[in-house]
Parts: sequence; C-alpha cells; structure tokens
Amino acid sequence: MKRKLNGSDIALKIFAYVFIGLIGLVCFYPLLMTLSVSFSSEKVIAFKGYSAIPQQFSLDTYIYIFGTSGMDILRSYGVTILVTVVGTFLALLITSMLAFAVSVSDLKYKNVIAFICNFTIIFGAGLIPWYYMCVNYYHLKDNIMGLIVPSLFSVWNMFLLRTYFKAISQSLYEAARIDGANYFQIYLRIAMPLSKTPLLTVGLMYALQFWNDWWNALMFVTDKKLWPLQYFLYNILSNVNAISSGRVPSGAAANIALPSETVKMAVTILTIGPIIFAYPFIQKYFVNGVMTGAVKE
Amino acid sequence: MAKTGANRQTKHDTLHELKKNRVLYAMCIPGLIFLLLFSYIPLAGLWMAFTNYNVVDGIFGSPFVGLKNLRYFFFGTGMGPKSIYNTLFINFWGIILGLIFPISIAVFFNEIGGKLYKKFTQSMMFFPYFLSWVVVGTIVYGFFATDVGVVNRLLTSFGVEKIRWYAEAKYWKTILICCNVWKWSGYNSIIYLGAMAGFDKSLFEAAEVDGATRLQQIRYLTLPMLRPTAVVLTLMSIGRIFFGDFGMVYGIIGNNPVIGDEVAVIDTYVYSAMRSLGFSYSTAVGLFQSVMGLILVTIANAVAKKINDGEGLF
Repeated sequence: MKRKLNGSDIALKIFAYVFIGLIGLVCFYPLLMTLSVSFSSEKVIAFKGYSAIPQQFSLDTYIYIFGTSGMDILRSYGVTILVTVVGTFLALLITSMLAFAVSVSDLKYKNVIAFICNFTIIFGAGLIPWYYMCVNYYHLKDNIMGLIVPSLFSVWNMFLLRTYFKAISQSLYEAARIDGANYFQIYLRIAMPLSKTPLLTVGLMYALQFWNDWWNALMFVTDKKLWPLQYFLYNILSNVNAISSGRVPSGAAANIALPSETVKMAVTILTIGPIIFAYPFIQKYFVNGVMTGAVKE
Repeated sequence: MAKTGANRQTKHDTLHELKKNRVLYAMCIPGLIFLLLFSYIPLAGLWMAFTNYNVVDGIFGSPFVGLKNLRYFFFGTGMGPKSIYNTLFINFWGIILGLIFPISIAVFFNEIGGKLYKKFTQSMMFFPYFLSWVVVGTIVYGFFATDVGVVNRLLTSFGVEKIRWYAEAKYWKTILICCNVWKWSGYNSIIYLGAMAGFDKSLFEAAEVDGATRLQQIRYLTLPMLRPTAVVLTLMSIGRIFFGDFGMVYGIIGNNPVIGDEVAVIDTYVYSAMRSLGFSYSTAVGLFQSVMGLILVTIANAVAKKINDGEGLF
C-alpha cells in the first residue's frame, strides 16, 4: 500500500536528520568542551583558548586539585552525597505515603488533601517569610538539615506518583483488607512492590534535585564545611564572574584567589561526574517520568 | 434545632471517617506537616509587607505602614519596574522559543528512521536538563570569557575586535534566554513526543493513501493535533510569567556587579533587596509577585477549562 517516497519526502527526511543532529551537537558540545579543557594543560588553554578537543592531554589539573584543595572538594563531595542519599530516601518515603493515601478511592477526604497540596502551588508567601521562618524558628541556618528538610516534599512528584498508584487495581487492596491487613501494610507489601519503576523514576528525580541543589546552601550555609559541591562551584564561578566584570576594587580583587581555567572545568566535571556515568542507565526513567507527568489523568 | 442535629451528624461522620481510615490519614501527616511548615505558616509572615519590620517588635508588633512598601516598589526606585520588565521579557521569549524549538524537535525527530541515531541524538538533547544552573554558568563562561572563551576566539579569527562580555550588560538578557531554551528544549520535546505517541495512526495511513506528502501530513495532521498540548503548556507558563528563574540568573551571573542589576528578575531582586532594603520591603515585592501569580494562574486555568472541555490545569 505504501506510496513511493517522492522528492519532497526525501528532502524532508534529510533535513530532519541534519536538524536533529545539529540540535544534538549544540546540546552536547559544551560537555565535550568542559571535559577536554579539564584534561588539557593550562598553558595551552591560556594560549589557544577553550576547545572541544583536548590539547596536550594531561592529568595535571586533577592531580593538582586533589593535591592542594583536595580536602575541601572531597568534603563537599561528602556533603553532597550525604544530602542526596538521606534526602532522597526521606523524600521518597514522605511523598509515596501521601501519594498512596490519596490514591485510595476509599479515602473520603482525599480531595481536601489534594487541595491542600495544590494550593501551595497556586499561592505562596514568597521567599522572605519562608526564609524568616526557616532561620528564626526552624533553625536551619548553618545546619546540615537546612540542605535537606526544605526540599523533602514536592507536590508535583506526589501527583506523579499518585497517577501511578491509581493504576493499581483497588480490588487487590480489598482482598488484603479482608485478610486483615491495614493500609500501611498494603502500602508496604502491595503498592510499593508493584510500583518499582515509578518509585525509581521519582526517586531519581529527587536525587537529581538534591545533587544539583545549591539554592538551600546559598540561603542557609555560611560555614564552608557544609558547602555542597554545587555551591563550591558556585563560589568559584561567582568570584570569576565578579572579576571579569572589571569593576571590583583592586584591593578586593587581590584577596580573591582565582583558580585557573582548567581547574574550573575540572571542578565542573567532578560536579557532574556521577551524572555522566549514571546517565545511560537513568535516562529512560526520566523520559518515562516526563511523559507520565505531562499526560493528565 | 434540626440544624444542630445535622451538624452533629456531619461531625459524627467526620470522626467516623477519620477513625475508619486513621492509618491512611496518619500516612499523610509527614507530607502535610511539611506543607504546614514551609508553605502555610510562612503565609503569616506576609504581614511584614504592610509593616516596617524591626527585630525587636517582631512580625506583628512592628509599626503598620500600609501600602508604603508596595508604593516604593513601583515608584521609589527604578529597580521595581525594571525587574518586572526583565521578568516578563525573559519569560515572554522563553515561551515563544519554548514553543518553536521543542515542537520542531519533536516533529522532525518523528521523521527519522534510524533507531540508534534516534537514541543517540535524544540522549544528547536531553542532557542539559540534568545540569544545574551553576554548571551551565561555567559552560557559559567557557563561551564568553574575554581571553579564552570560544566566542571571542571566533570573533578574533574573523578579525573582529574582542568583546568584554562580562563587562557589557546589554547582551545578557539574550544570553539568558538562549540558555533557557538550550536547557529545556530537549526536555519539553519529550512531552510533545509523548503526545504524538498517542496519535491515531489510521489518520496518517489514510492521508498517505490519499497521496499526502510527509510535509502535508505534518502541516495538516501533526501540528493541529499537537495544539492542545501546546496550549496547556503555554497556559502553564503564562500562569508563572511573573516568576523569574532565580537559579538561572544567579547561577550564570553570580556576583557580577555590572550585569546584576541589568538582568535582575523579580526573584533575584527580592533576594538582593532582602539584604539592602530589609525584610518588609522585599516581602512586599514577593507578595506582589504571588498575587499576580494567583490572578494569572486562575485566568489560565479558566481558559484551559474552556478550551479542554472542563479540564483545567490543576
């Protein structure tokens, strides 16, 4: 039945291949550039500038980083890993419990609870009252909890999980109820095991959020010992940025030790390193999550 | 008396329900406590917007000043209107380009046959989504650094004078818009691809039989069928048009004193005003933003309901 491809179809196909290839390159080129600079020798970069092909391949930068400021970076790595692991676990627990509860059709006030959640998306107090409470009453300043607790629950992720839980047949629950199980046992023994992929999806979304977070650190952390990796990088970049503007008083500029070009890029690579390695395996879960989140039930 | 009887009845029902499903309600408690602490209790702090807050008197003891803080935001400094303009400007172009790129990517991606090629390119296009804005900031630096940056190297190789990007504020709104498109296009194209996966294949087969070229199928079938998705996504963006991307602006611009004010969005302005102009004033700015957000989301939701047969955004 298939009609032969005509000229216009072939032209379109070629254009599609080229277009998608170009967009892919534009999206990926910066990573190649960052990688290659971090593996180049500093002198060549200063002379030739950034490029996507390593110039005079060398590991000097990484050796230098772990030799001099190594302790700081390793500690930041530790903070980030701790925050990501603890935060993701707690966030997934809190989110999945609420999502499960509002997915049970038997629950009379599920819509009230959903509204309580939804309202926070529609209207918020804004930064200052939130900050005021966090600092003055919840004592999150210079506290590792400040990097975890404010991000423990995302209404979007809750609704995403609820969509998945809703797909589970309620008759399974009823059978378990007749056998004398309460809903927490049902959640633990039926709903969770049946939702491994969704839990992995939402768990990875939380993990990415905790790994990439520097906002909480910007808000609450002054103590350098509590800097997560992203905030460590932010401080380097921010100083470089201020000096590049050329409007910093010379006295102040002298006090800021600027890392070299290769060091900046090496720290960037260290920051995104685990993501690069995990990317081939985790990507499909994110695609899955994006598609489910976009399709409203 | 009948009325109180009915009240007692509902009260009884409520208690009964809470008792019957106590396990489920208990499971909601951690999440609800979170929302109470971080979303609902802070609402009380909005009162600061109408006072001249000082530490000694606290939120509710500080002198009431009415709308003075808000007036100052609109008329007192140039920064208020400027931050509103910047927020709307950056978001407006974000919405327009955020339609053009993701839809084109999805449409052309669908025309490609090679499985491996598809997998490879999609991985590349989705990658920016996984990077934090700070990382994007270092990448931007790699492009726009005065001496070593890619862009200036290109310019000099064409014999054009170098530009000191980090000292010239006028380019940065454009750069930020590009970064936004770069980071989100791959992600958003997946939403459109998801919608396309649900299309009725027989329509396309029929069009093929009738001799329609692929281009005609895109023009008369794919694009019109993508419209509902595009409308919903756009309405959601319009609902949030008064909210700037703090992470993007701060992650890329950092402490830069020359560019900072020029590209300030409302969110970054609130943050910097907190330090320089105090809690009350910056709360008022935040309140303005929240109220505008509430109004626009409500309108967007109503419009979505009208278009989508009663189904709103939330």
